[in-house]
Amino acid sequence: MPLDTDPQTDDADLLAAYARGDAGAARLLTVRLTPRAFGQAMRMLGDSGEAEDVAQEAMMRLWRVAPEWRHGEAKVTTWLFRVVANLCTDRLRKRGRGAMPLDVVAEPEDPTPSVEIRMQDEARRDALRIALAALPERQRVAVTMRHFEGAANPEIAEALGISTEAVESLTARGKRALAAALKGQAAALGYEEG
Amino acid sequence: MTKAPNRDGDDAWIDGMLDDLARTPVPETPDDLKARVMEEAYAMLPAPGGQLAKAPWWRQIVEGIGGWMAVGGLVAAAATGFVVGLGGLDSVGVSTPWTMTYETYYDSPGSLDAFGWDMEEG
Repeated sequence: MPLDTDPQTDDADLLAAYARGDAGAARLLTVRLTPRAFGQAMRMLGDSGEAEDVAQEAMMRLWRVAPEWRHGEAKVTTWLFRVVANLCTDRLRKRGRGAMPLDVVAEPEDPTPSVEIRMQDEARRDALRIALAALPERQRVAVTMRHFEGAANPEIAEALGISTEAVESLTARGKRALAAALKGQAAALGYEEG
Repeated sequence: MTKAPNRDGDDAWIDGMLDDLARTPVPETPDDLKARVMEEAYAMLPAPGGQLAKAPWWRQIVEGIGGWMAVGGLVAAAATGFVVGLGGLDSVGVSTPWTMTYETYYDSPGSLDAFGWDMEEG
């Protein structure tokens, strides 16, 4: 797979070139954006097979929307982030409906400490993923953009079409909801009850 | 064991979990995934030299007006104007079917059809 040979060109310009039938733009966008979509899906789902499916679906939606893309309306990466987040949420919600509570999952027999710790870490991540999926979309996007993408408030504000001040409140509400959802599982997740 | 939050609004616990999830190592993007994405991109590639699709005429009108909110406002204003206009007809001396009494209707030119005169004149 060729590397991104033209890192200066804006994603939106490449998307416009794709819409005009430029195969080179398709190649560059694939190289740039597929790892991004896959990485985000992998963090949100923790399963490489599902992450691949989500990344592929998100990229297909990008090709589909290309002819109607309006330059300057949204950043391509922000649009893709939201699509991936929503696709992951759908899967996590389905997964959450069939998931067993953490305290009834059988303990492995005679686990070595490293295995136990790894399992506990993974249990925490899974619980957080499911709690994230249960958040309203805007809260989820604000929280995950900040923590997964390292996005600053103005960037999140632009993505959500709200003021910078509103981002603070949205993020705080999202975290409070996460804390409330996870607090009941604190012991199962390896936290001391406060 | 790590301390769980013991009061509302304690974000450190959640921040730690989110940061841990964000730091989770992500495997390299599989080459076959990129190949599949590329294959779909080529399959959906518009014809060379293709123009960016124009929005349909109705969407251009809606956007020209200022979006769906503006269209809603326009419709509400038009409906209000229509109702106010109908209500005002009576005050300028124009009789309308819903403001007429029976007598008014009977004497109005609209009621004077040939059949009515015939009946009255016997």
